[in-house]
Amino acid sequence: MGRGRRIRLSLMPNDFESVEVLGGEEEVSLLEILDHVLNSGVVIHGSLVISLAGVDLVYLGLNVVLTSVETALTNLQIEEKRKK
Amino acid sequence: MTRILAYCGFHHAAQIALPAIGVDAQPVQLMSAGCLGLLWSEVEWPFVPDQMQRSALAFHQVVRHVFDQTAIIPFRLLSVFEDQQALRAFVAENQERFLVDLERLKDFVQMECVVYPAPGQAQAGSGTGKAYLEKKAAAMRSSEGFAQAVRNAVAHLGHEVRVREGKNGTRIFVLVERGRESDFRQAVSVLPLPEHLSRRISGPWPAAEFLSEQVKAPQIVSQKNAGAK
Repeated sequence: MGRGRRIRLSLMPNDFESVEVLGGEEEVSLLEILDHVLNSGVVIHGSLVISLAGVDLVYLGLNVVLTSVETALTNLQIEEKRKK
Repeated sequence: MTRILAYCGFHHAAQIALPAIGVDAQPVQLMSAGCLGLLWSEVEWPFVPDQMQRSALAFHQVVRHVFDQTAIIPFRLLSVFEDQQALRAFVAENQERFLVDLERLKDFVQMECVVYPAPGQAQAGSGTGKAYLEKKAAAMRSSEGFAQAVRNAVAHLGHEVRVREGKNGTRIFVLVERGRESDFRQAVSVLPLPEHLSRRISGPWPAAEFLSEQVKAPQIVSQKNAGAK
């Protein structure tokens, strides 16, 4: 089976700043929200790859999420180190 | 092209206030099947990549709106169905499982504690491969020790604890009675932490980590079952 469509999720350093969540008394980082909305809950059919700086973030092809935000960020850090 | 985006399922009751607007500023609609309510919107598909972040936040806000009032089963963002008929068929097939999980989790929320290498410790020191592996093993032992300490500390309020090792640290998920989130924070935040580790406590979140496998990945389970026959 071919891979799904790839889109890029903008996740710049500023995005790690805390954001006010509607209805919430506390601040939750955007990264945590992204992690939860992408990686927690019911997985159904789809065919889509989200990529973060070229690293596959989520693949909902064969109904399986292969990587998480956490993994993607690790890979991103390694990639950044390699570039330096 | 449009698709049906599912947000979350919940035990529907008249007193639950529903959000009006969701992803792409589309109206949030309710599909009911018996006691099960499911929120959805008709959205332009695929998402515009530049709007992904906004969509994720809008999605989160819809889910959060309901979760603040009752237990929910969240779908993952990007959970889209071809049309309303497909969603209705999915609901009909999974309604019972959803309701069983909702009943089991109705009084709980998910609290989390992530333990990760303190800033500056993550990739510090190069040395030999052996030294690296030893350091990594020591870090893992510390994390495991802390995870056990969390288990002990929340035993009186955590009905279930799950620990998942990730490349960036150890994630500890605890099923806590709704309303006792601050007890969890208090219990975990005072635990002594090894110097080279940091912790991050978050929640309450929907109890997604504690969903049954059939609910979490219905098609995978049904495919496995079909393959086993």
